[in-house]
Amino acid sequence: MKLIRRILAPLALAVAGVAGAQVPGVGEREIVVGSIQDLSGPIALLGVPVRDGMQMRFDDANAAGGVHGRKLRLVVEDAGYDPKKGVLAARKLIQRDKVFAFLADLGTPVVMATMPLIVDAGRPHLFPFSPHESTYAPRHPLKFQMFAPYQDYMDAATRHMVQTHGYRKSCLLYQDDDYGLEVMKGVEAGLAKLKQPLAEKTSYKRGATDFSSQIARLRGAGCDFVVLATVVRETVAAVAEARRTGWNVDMLVTASGYSAQTHELGGKAVEGLYGVTVLPHPYEAGANGQLADWIRRYRERFGAAPNVWSVMGYGVADLFVKAAEKAGRDLTVERFTAALESLHTPRDFFGSPEYRFSRDDHLGNRYGRIAQIKDGRWVILTDYLK
Amino acid sequence: MSGSGGMRGSRRAGVPAAAVAITVLACLAVWALGADYALAQAAFVTTWAIAGLGVIVVVGQCGQVSLGQGALLGLGAYAQALLALRGVPAPLSLPVAVALGAAGGWLASLPARRLGGLYFAMSTLAFALIVEEALVRWESVTHGAAGFAVPPLALGGWVADTSLAQALVGGVALALAWLACRRWVASRLGRAWRAVREDEVAAAAAGIDVARAKTLAFVLGGGLSGLAGALYAHWIGFVSPEQFGLMLSFELLMLAFIGGAQHLAGALWGALVVVALPQGVSLAVERLPPGLAGAAGIETALFGAVLVIIVLLRPGGLAGSR
Repeated sequence: MKLIRRILAPLALAVAGVAGAQVPGVGEREIVVGSIQDLSGPIALLGVPVRDGMQMRFDDANAAGGVHGRKLRLVVEDAGYDPKKGVLAARKLIQRDKVFAFLADLGTPVVMATMPLIVDAGRPHLFPFSPHESTYAPRHPLKFQMFAPYQDYMDAATRHMVQTHGYRKSCLLYQDDDYGLEVMKGVEAGLAKLKQPLAEKTSYKRGATDFSSQIARLRGAGCDFVVLATVVRETVAAVAEARRTGWNVDMLVTASGYSAQTHELGGKAVEGLYGVTVLPHPYEAGANGQLADWIRRYRERFGAAPNVWSVMGYGVADLFVKAAEKAGRDLTVERFTAALESLHTPRDFFGSPEYRFSRDDHLGNRYGRIAQIKDGRWVILTDYLK
Repeated sequence: MSGSGGMRGSRRAGVPAAAVAITVLACLAVWALGADYALAQAAFVTTWAIAGLGVIVVVGQCGQVSLGQGALLGLGAYAQALLALRGVPAPLSLPVAVALGAAGGWLASLPARRLGGLYFAMSTLAFALIVEEALVRWESVTHGAAGFAVPPLALGGWVADTSLAQALVGGVALALAWLACRRWVASRLGRAWRAVREDEVAAAAAGIDVARAKTLAFVLGGGLSGLAGALYAHWIGFVSPEQFGLMLSFELLMLAFIGGAQHLAGALWGALVVVALPQGVSLAVERLPPGLAGAAGIETALFGAVLVIIVLLRPGGLAGSR
């Protein structure tokens, strides 16, 4: 017994010592970062460009020598929007791949199911693609977010539109799920500040293609401004239906409808549509030198044109790189989160907003701006609306 | 009757084979991935196997096509989650979840008195849509489409918040469900189910109360689904209506048919394929060259290919006869 104890005790100490010194995912030569994406499920259209954007930023950092001499390695798991797969993916990334942090996990059910596991394991949960408030509030030392809930953007955007255009009857067409309800809260809050009611609202089920009854109802109510809590296809269908019936009302779509696909699919019918955006779409025509070079490299690397989701992926990875650089060579979770808490990034060549975190506020940006479709492309009209 | 012969065969060969396969897979998983991850898998496999038993009772034994099993899981999950939030202890809330699942099954089975075949299948589809809609609309109770977080399962002072505890609870629940199912399929009721499955008219002519047999299949199958849903809610820690949509119903149907809908062991086989196989595929994909491994949807494509191979080689399901 004594002998066993004599052998085991130093061994246990050694193991504990190594475990204490070793930060998961941080090796001598690399930092491993995990991400749970949807590459095969209902929002794979977002997941693929987000992943490619992140990969490109990490490749760029590695080509420049890495972060304090360590290369960045991105391990992506496909959960296909299934929380069950998400939980298993999170455990795999924590235990097997020993990732240092989770970056840009995608899809609300997946994020909500995995976030407790991730922070319990002591890993930073960074910038998930889920507009759920619990991703940054109440403040948790490991939770950081750069995408505000729809409510925040839509409050400011609705107020701006009503104030500058003098609308009297603002209305809402919304998808009847958490996304639609979130937008409704924002629109109502914005109107309430201007002492206006929401004149009329009507909903549709996800995937609907016919909006004739909804448009007729909104028109019948005499709306002079319609907010669309729709996604791309429904945006096109709703605007086209209004124009087809000769109703030329001003419409504003949320950031979910701000996509190049909206004017590619909608063509002439969606000309003049307003939209809320946080990041501009990377158009090749008229791009500044840096952006044109970025678009060219993206195209060469992934064989597809980048879109706004690629820019978001690049952006989240960029914040990670900046925070890791700021944290210094002795990278630990505490140093990393401390660096992030004092991070303030300027606007970049994409036209992204400034991101600013603090000890008390882990949401990097709350503001969006208004764009409009003119001559078949989105044109930014305003600065970030406070 | 061929069905009952198959049942007995499956009890002799299917269960041990599945048990051996699971043990081997479990050892492999622990070796390749670490204990915690493997146990988390085991928790989901056992829970999905309970749900699979529910489908097998309805679809495999009684021969009714149910496209609404996912909704019954949803009922169990919401009942358990809402009661857990209000601090109701699990020994009280679990029976409520099971009862709600069973009541849902009874409701879903009502059209079976008038409708048969595909028409009845469509009515179960409608039932699933109604339940999902109700979960979204009844916001004051269900928290609507936004969903809510579920505390871990607590039995007395013991909290099942590790994957070992979850796998244990799942295993015990599966064993109990299994024993119950064995009794049912071996009983007079089980024989009635199989008679209804083979030929409703002949079964009625033989003096079997067809409507009662179908209703009981749905009630018992619903109860099993409710139990699975209740456990699932704790393992995931977050419920929202979209998780219990038609995709889940189809996943459970697939589970039963891949595993072998006419054999209880099919539930375990099917759960292994549906839950664990995608994880295995994901590990295999990591070994591919980077260009190929990065292709979006490659895991789904491979998973689909494996399913097709399974169906071609074992049309009766993995637990079925060769």
